[in-house]
Amino acid sequence: MQLFAIGVGGSGAKCLEALTHLHACGLLTDTNGNPVRLGTFLVEPDQESTLLTRAETAIERYSKMHASLNKKTTTFARGELRHYGTWSPLSSSSGAIRLDQIFSRPVLRTQAAGLASLFDCLFPPEEQSADLVVGFRGRPPIGAAVMSRVSLASEAQTGQWQQLLGDVKAATGGGETTIIHLFGSVFGGTGAAGVPTLGQMLKNWLRDEKLLSVRVNASLLLPYFDFEGQGEEDTGVHAEARNFQLNTDAALQHLCARGQSCFDHVYLIGSDIKARYGFSIGGRSQENAAHLVELLAALGARHGLQPAAETGYAYVISRAMQNQITWNDIPDNEVVGVGLARGARFAVAWLNNFSLELDRAQAMPMPKFLSGAPWSRQFFQPNGQDNEFQGGRPSIRNVDELNLKATIDSYSETLLQWFYQLSANTGSGFSQEIFSPDLLRRNSSHENDLAMVVRGSARPTRDSDSDTVEYIKVRIDDMPKEQLTSRGVAGLADTLWDQAY
Amino acid sequence: MRNTQYIWLGISVMCGIIWVFLGQSWLFLNIFPGLLVGPGLNLEEYLQTGSSPSFTILWFSCLVALFIWLYVTTTSRPRNGDEVRQMQPRWWFAATLLVVLGWLYQLLFSVFIWQVRGQSPTNVSGMNYFPIPPAGWLLLMVFVIFDVILLFWLPTLLASPKTFRLVVPGAVRLMGGR
Repeated sequence: MQLFAIGVGGSGAKCLEALTHLHACGLLTDTNGNPVRLGTFLVEPDQESTLLTRAETAIERYSKMHASLNKKTTTFARGELRHYGTWSPLSSSSGAIRLDQIFSRPVLRTQAAGLASLFDCLFPPEEQSADLVVGFRGRPPIGAAVMSRVSLASEAQTGQWQQLLGDVKAATGGGETTIIHLFGSVFGGTGAAGVPTLGQMLKNWLRDEKLLSVRVNASLLLPYFDFEGQGEEDTGVHAEARNFQLNTDAALQHLCARGQSCFDHVYLIGSDIKARYGFSIGGRSQENAAHLVELLAALGARHGLQPAAETGYAYVISRAMQNQITWNDIPDNEVVGVGLARGARFAVAWLNNFSLELDRAQAMPMPKFLSGAPWSRQFFQPNGQDNEFQGGRPSIRNVDELNLKATIDSYSETLLQWFYQLSANTGSGFSQEIFSPDLLRRNSSHENDLAMVVRGSARPTRDSDSDTVEYIKVRIDDMPKEQLTSRGVAGLADTLWDQAY
Repeated sequence: MRNTQYIWLGISVMCGIIWVFLGQSWLFLNIFPGLLVGPGLNLEEYLQTGSSPSFTILWFSCLVALFIWLYVTTTSRPRNGDEVRQMQPRWWFAATLLVVLGWLYQLLFSVFIWQVRGQSPTNVSGMNYFPIPPAGWLLLMVFVIFDVILLFWLPTLLASPKTFRLVVPGAVRLMGGR
């Protein structure tokens, strides 16, 4: 099964970040439990966007780790991921970065004077001259105007779209179940303009290519955050929280009228209790922390993988308690809870303990290290000779192994940061009973206690005294050889992933 | 502790008892009498009143040290290998202390007790100690070291729990490479 995920705008990028982490946690699977092949694609005019960079970082780090593991694991990071890159709708505008450059007024006036007047009527001068390099500035009409000029048929001939659509074609032609899932907010600029437009374009392209079995779904984010403060007079056109509801109403009306022609299923997710982010027009200053709503949006894509999703068109979700979210509010929480809990516990145990142990091993002879870390003999050769393989166990100082460790460190750090933000960024007067944010920080204290990392029903049922990294080490040390899938850092990560929950 | 560790612990403690209370005395009587017997010393009497009590107390000391070691290692929750390895000097301290105590026990039961009581353990008047020749003292000192190896090192090697499994000296070489 192949899932092609397209994140449109900043919120769309954040959803793709969440989806990448779900994939890493083994939660994107087909009906047989095999991980789907995930393709990711970002649509964002704001190439400097921090949110875009964050999503790209998560995707890149996961991809690099997956490639470095080289299929040596059986449970850890098994899902394939291909990133098709980031595409800007402005890239097809021959260098134009303002609306009055994209729709050249002199040309409009000479060729269609009526259109020029309509253009002036629809877009006030400040919107026409706004620099769109930082995005569509929370104005869906600007985004819709730019996006409507895009021709998917011509984009499909070159670059990233060609690769993406080529793979959609190949997967469908090969008989694989193929799903395209779009993510974006409907209350901002880029997402609100881009998601429905791209959905319709993709639907049309699929129809033209006779790829009618491909489903096009979307997770549409309704308002879930506010800005602290607002733009200055010289900020120019910018997103304003007071317009969010208006934009949402317009987007939902459009969806009501024409939604079926854009998407097979939509997932509508928002929050009445808003997270507060610092004001930003976009670019590097936009540092919105990850939010539970983005996780729920990504879980929409997971729901879309199930055959049961065939029924119904629009899906919504609600929580049981006004001021709190618990695992019971998460769809399919019995499976999702275990997957996310495993991911969080793995990241804590790996970064705050095992990785530090491997670092420490570099500073002493292997036999000395082994005397305090018996578990390490399962994966690394006990005599510690460098650059030699013995019984399938590499040296703990092997350069390839250390490089692999570095890629796992990088991705785990990203994953842990995401879990932290997810659990800490709830908005005022609202709490979560899912994770303990304080325990989801990278530190060098050799964290041992895992019992409180996950809260609520997804917390493992084992006795909290034995829910420690030390017990995992003991269990690993006790494992018979045959139970270990591979050796070296890959084997250690795979075994830890297995034992982390 | 693993089940096999309990079994090894039981076996090593049993071996220790058999060694201290039977094997060692048999060796003194049948293999090394020439080294231990000095002028006026009755070997059987020495074994009953000098050697046996001192080795019994050493055995008891080793047993106490062993259980303290097992208690500490079982109940502690080390966060990393460094904290595990911190137990290594403590093990050496315990082992050294046991050896020194073992030697002191020999002195105590062969010399000091008789000196304090003002009695002679031999038929020679005025000799308020067991007249063990230098080679005998050396033999006793070696046996004390051997006893500490058998009664403390071996059970801690075989039965140290959890991540402390390889912290005892020699454990990595003997048990770490499998």
